[in-house]
Amino acid sequence: MQRKKSPVLSSVLSLIVPGLGQVYAGSPSRGAAFFIAIAVTAILVRWRGNSLLYTGIAVAWLWNVWDACNLAQGRRLSSILPFLAIALVLYVIGWGVTEINLRRLLTDVADVKPLVSDLFQPAVFERDIEELVGEVQFESPCSDSPPAKGSPLESEPYLVLVDKTCGDPGDTFTIEGGNFWPNSRGYIWWSNLAGEMEFRVRYKGDYLTFETDEEGRIPPTTVIVQEPFAEAKDKGPQLYRVQARMRRETGPLHLSETFFLVVEKMVETVFLALMATTIAIIIAIPISFLAARNLMGGNPISMAVYYVVRTILNTLRSIEPLIMAIIFVVWVGLGPFAGVLALAVHSIAALGKLYSEAVESIDPGPIEAITATGANRLQTIVYAVIPQIVPPYLAFTIYRWDINVRMSTIIGFVGGGGIGYLLQQWIRLLMYEEAGAAVWAIAIVVAIMDYASAKAREKIT
Amino acid sequence: MLQIEHLTKIYGDGTVALDDVSFEVPDGEFLVILGLSGAGKSTLLRCINRLIEPTKGRIIWDGTDITASSGEELRQIRRHIGMIFQEFNLVERTSVLINVLSGRLGYVNPWLSLLHYFPREEVDRALRNLERVGIADLAHKRADELSGGQRQRVGIARALMQEPRLMLADEPVASLDPVLAHSILRYLEQLNREDGITVICSLHFLDLVRRYASHVVGLKDGRVVFQGLPDEITDRRFKEIYGEEAERITVA
Repeated sequence: MQRKKSPVLSSVLSLIVPGLGQVYAGSPSRGAAFFIAIAVTAILVRWRGNSLLYTGIAVAWLWNVWDACNLAQGRRLSSILPFLAIALVLYVIGWGVTEINLRRLLTDVADVKPLVSDLFQPAVFERDIEELVGEVQFESPCSDSPPAKGSPLESEPYLVLVDKTCGDPGDTFTIEGGNFWPNSRGYIWWSNLAGEMEFRVRYKGDYLTFETDEEGRIPPTTVIVQEPFAEAKDKGPQLYRVQARMRRETGPLHLSETFFLVVEKMVETVFLALMATTIAIIIAIPISFLAARNLMGGNPISMAVYYVVRTILNTLRSIEPLIMAIIFVVWVGLGPFAGVLALAVHSIAALGKLYSEAVESIDPGPIEAITATGANRLQTIVYAVIPQIVPPYLAFTIYRWDINVRMSTIIGFVGGGGIGYLLQQWIRLLMYEEAGAAVWAIAIVVAIMDYASAKAREKIT
Repeated sequence: MLQIEHLTKIYGDGTVALDDVSFEVPDGEFLVILGLSGAGKSTLLRCINRLIEPTKGRIIWDGTDITASSGEELRQIRRHIGMIFQEFNLVERTSVLINVLSGRLGYVNPWLSLLHYFPREEVDRALRNLERVGIADLAHKRADELSGGQRQRVGIARALMQEPRLMLADEPVASLDPVLAHSILRYLEQLNREDGITVICSLHFLDLVRRYASHVVGLKDGRVVFQGLPDEITDRRFKEIYGEEAERITVA
């Protein structure tokens, strides 16, 4: 039993600096824990500026004084109370820092509905699109010889001008037409005469639409004369094409272009994972022997190699493949090769460690037995070591390929190739039905890999 | 004739496993080494075929100094010393036949053996040895599908592949139940009597010692505390080897 310390001195010390009394009373690690917990929490509270939270720290501080007093008399108290006080403070801060807002979760649920519903209608099937276009020419600004109003056609869709055939930007004019599909909706388009510059006309923010009657006629519709295209500015009167366009789906459902694109990219993704895993296996196998303590424990030089290899593996493993991919995208450019390299480097580190642990856990018994028969070193490795490490190596490798397929689906988010690249673009372009197809493809492939890899590993071990 | 002279083994952590052990084993003997766990029995056996390097002392076998040999010479010596183990030490995921054939690795072409190629006559020899221990029908099973008694018999068949003149058995029956223990020891007895193989076997149970040994060496804390015939182990001697609190347990 150690000599009793003064409880008063211990309390005073802990009152001045949390934990100091505990150090004095002979429990330096307990003291350090108190000091670090209270100091770090205090800094965080000060940073967030919520003075109410100082109460929690005060509780912990006072309790720390009481603890120091008891410790000096040889009694150890349970530290549940200060632990809870500090934890409560930290959780309050954590709530604020991560901006948790449960109300938004409920009020803004409408925003996500179209996205989610599109994800469940992936663009796997589509029909062919047919389009009807009728057009008429309009001049802006007016010249001495404005174009004609146009005339109705016999059977083709047509458009005619009703009131005027030319005008300044901002003026309005009226069109009408016929021979379109009955009772359907369409849009008005505006383009230059060459037809390579075009856009859909808006009216007060919304696209300008029209509805045909039961005979396919477009009723008189008011259109605003648009500003000239940039290269036609100040070039005097120009002719523009005003078009009425209508589209509808036709024919049977067939697999969409998106579907084939997704399949192609998915194949690329699986190959990306395969190449990365294969490269990793080839490099990780020799490395794993260098990182196995039972093989390298002989002398100081091999021990040094062991520590160096272990340190490199641990460092590489702590770098996320996504970050690795960013580096390789800068290095070798956008595309699957960068993804292969990123996944390969990460897999070397992960497999190197797993393999070396498999080597470390081999049973020395068979090695002993084979050595005792008079076998040489190589024979001993082939007959006693390899049979023991092949099954775990295979299991880890399959597991890693599974992980790599999973990783390669998102490595494209940073430009590493594969389906992730498409998915990321579609999400940014708000093309959620296409994104949905990609998400489903990923889910299906990952689920299959997961199942197959679990089955295969079961077989091996 | 195997001569152990002043054999001492001190492990890296300072543990003295063997302390100046000396005795002789004439050819054809069934020598049992008796002692508690940790008395140094396993270390002693492993020093004989140099799985463990002795710290001091010599082991002379038919005039050859085993402790001084190395490399090819040591492998040649090991070829003639069979060994079976308490935990059998089979390669679990490999077939019984390959396990048995691996006992022949010191004889066959080393390069071909790396490809798992063995000449026909070696395969026949393996099957004969399996037949001898009564498990020829298990040749193509995986070693880990076998029961403990079957595994130890594979261990014996593997050792027989070496055509040994000396058989080391490290607690060969400690992982088996008493009935199987007798069956395994009877095989060793047979090898000893019919083939003239010298057997050095470590054992726990005095009853088994009395039944099979032709000579006994008692070890305690790495020292030889008894040398003599099995019948000379009185209760007094027994307590010297096993300590005062030991009670004799009878094995069926």
